[in-house]
Amino acid sequence: MEDLLFYLFAFVVIGSASVVVLSKNIMYSAFSLLFTFFGVAGLYVLLFADFVALTQIMVYIGGILVLIIFGVLLTTKITGVDIKSGTTGKVQLITASVVVVIIAISLILLFTNVEWVNQEFVQPNTTIDSIGFAFMTKYLLPFEIAAVLLLIALVGATLIARRK
Amino acid sequence: MEEANFVFNMIGENWIAFAIISLLPMIFLLAYALIAILGELKISAFIQERLGPMRTGPWGIIQPVAEVVKLLQKEDITPDSANKPLFNLAPFIMFAASYAGFAVIPFSSYFVPSGINLGLFFLLAVGSLGIIGLLMGGWASNNKYSLLGGLRAVAQIVSYEIPAAMVILTIAVMAGSLDLQEIIRQQSGWFWNWFVFGGSGGWIKIIFLPFSFIMCIIYIIASLAETNRTPFDIPEGESELVAGYHTEYSGMKFAMFFFAEYANMFIVSAIITIIFFGGWNSPFGDFMGGPIWGVFWFVSKAFVFVFLQIWLRWTLPRLRVDQLMYVSWKVLLPFSFVCFLALSLLVMLK
Amino acid sequence: MKDYFKNVWLGVWTALIGMRITIDHLFRKNVTVQYPNVHPKDKAGWMDMPSNARNRLYVDMDECNGCNSCARACPVNCISIETVRSVPGDAPPPLASGGKRNLWVSQFEIDFTKCCFCSLCTEACPTGAIVMTTEFEYSSYNRYDLVYNFVKLQNSMSDEKIAEVKEKWAEHQKEKKKEAVEPK
Ligand code: SF4
Ligand code: SF4
Repeated sequence: MEDLLFYLFAFVVIGSASVVVLSKNIMYSAFSLLFTFFGVAGLYVLLFADFVALTQIMVYIGGILVLIIFGVLLTTKITGVDIKSGTTGKVQLITASVVVVIIAISLILLFTNVEWVNQEFVQPNTTIDSIGFAFMTKYLLPFEIAAVLLLIALVGATLIARRK
Repeated sequence: MEEANFVFNMIGENWIAFAIISLLPMIFLLAYALIAILGELKISAFIQERLGPMRTGPWGIIQPVAEVVKLLQKEDITPDSANKPLFNLAPFIMFAASYAGFAVIPFSSYFVPSGINLGLFFLLAVGSLGIIGLLMGGWASNNKYSLLGGLRAVAQIVSYEIPAAMVILTIAVMAGSLDLQEIIRQQSGWFWNWFVFGGSGGWIKIIFLPFSFIMCIIYIIASLAETNRTPFDIPEGESELVAGYHTEYSGMKFAMFFFAEYANMFIVSAIITIIFFGGWNSPFGDFMGGPIWGVFWFVSKAFVFVFLQIWLRWTLPRLRVDQLMYVSWKVLLPFSFVCFLALSLLVMLK
Repeated sequence: MKDYFKNVWLGVWTALIGMRITIDHLFRKNVTVQYPNVHPKDKAGWMDMPSNARNRLYVDMDECNGCNSCARACPVNCISIETVRSVPGDAPPPLASGGKRNLWVSQFEIDFTKCCFCSLCTEACPTGAIVMTTEFEYSSYNRYDLVYNFVKLQNSMSDEKIAEVKEKWAEHQKEKKKEAVEPK
């Protein structure tokens, strides 16, 4: 059953991600990101990372995706550009393909060459406790730096909004 | 921890059990929606000293059935210039998002569809899913009113999620857990153990009573805004935006939006019940306790808040957009910060 | 700062007041009735329709002096009145309330297909002849049935009488003309 679900989610992720890339309509791309994010959240759940999965839904779907859609809606309205993106040029196509192929090959090499250690799997009862402890002990500095960064961004955004 | 699901106890963990568990809330939701629609019609009528629907059945109690049948057999119109795929997808996303919330609602100590220990966080996360459906429907309708409604809805929901999240954070601090069953279990006993009365603990909590009350009010206000109910129904304000994001929808698809709104109403009422009013706990200690009565207490408490929402709808006029933002950012947010600090202090003193 | 807290408090408090009012109304008796089954006039405790109810108009021809005020007040021109001047010495009977009358009202028509029930005519009437009744069930299959001629309906003047007063007035006019042409 887990395998079935995994392939289902993987199919959703890959299918919607290809729509994101291939669609000529920016709105379609933006909205199929919803399914991509959702599928990724599903994969996290299958990895017993429930907290990360929920954060994925909350931050990426509830926050970032909404911002992206808002951005698409607002910018096209302001500049009057057609919402459908033009066909990609030859140059971009070739460059992108080369980069993608290089990354894919290196990833495949990485997966085949590394000796993976198969650990006895214990289903964690809850992940949130360990995440909390890790944040507050071992990773306190990165955690605090991220918090300060977000605060700076917040203050900066308020400042920009005020100046108008 | 005891087994949290009576279906698993009865027929074991197999496919049938999973199917039953995922369908049970749907059955409840259907029954609830009929009651809530009737309630909305009748309460609005009584508040305005009218009789309300009277023709279908005795005192019109089958009116919601008639309305559902009407919606089902209505012509399903898709506007010519609408973006068809997204237009057709939006109601389903809306409904799926609100139904997802039911996955963690504990109806009783022996029935919660999915007893994950991040229930509160889950509710917060899927609560933001519906926005996409709104935006999608608003944009795909290709109608300026729908688009404006969608944009307003997003601005509103995103703003009001923050005070709501502060309240939920406070509850997480007070309960020390995000597991809804655990949160409810901590409020067992008499009603003064509910979090709205500062949770269980010594007399010191009396000093903090105002803060927990204010928290509760903040959450009720924020939840009204998140479900687009009056006085925060700016996204669908009939007098300015026709019907906002669902102006162009008709028939079954409109019914889905409608249904999602009612499901959302129940979900926020359930959240209020769980985090402030003790969930399935009996208010009077062991009196009428136990799993079966738990369903009764939970549902009736939630219905009180559904009633409160309907009551408020027929009391207060709609806010302006700037007033809406003022209430969220300049009133609810600072108050929730102060209350958060105060209640955290209470947790430390206990 | 003080204003801010006062504002917040007022916001909450006024909302609570509003809620108290609505909950009070929730438990009050309904004012509406299940109409075709229960006639409003049959509702217990109701002596009559509400005083500001707008229904079918009624004109008491014994009170009408034919001043045409109602027709002029009517925004949709649905009242049409025809009057005949009376000759000296043959004045119409005085009003029921005692006032003097100089005009024979030979026709008083209200077209209820046009009437918008604004009740402006009843306010304009100096004698209170035209009033709102409590009757509102008078739909009809023929729209001409909705043109009410109150003279005919109340038989305040028979056709012969109308012809007679018209004759008299015409004669009176003729005499006047004659007088004007060949003064004594
Ligand atoms: S109620 Fe109004 S519309 Fe009707 S006859 Fe009188 S003035 Fe005219
Ligand atoms: S205003 Fe009154 S008195 Fe004058 S014509 Fe009309 S009904 Fe008769």
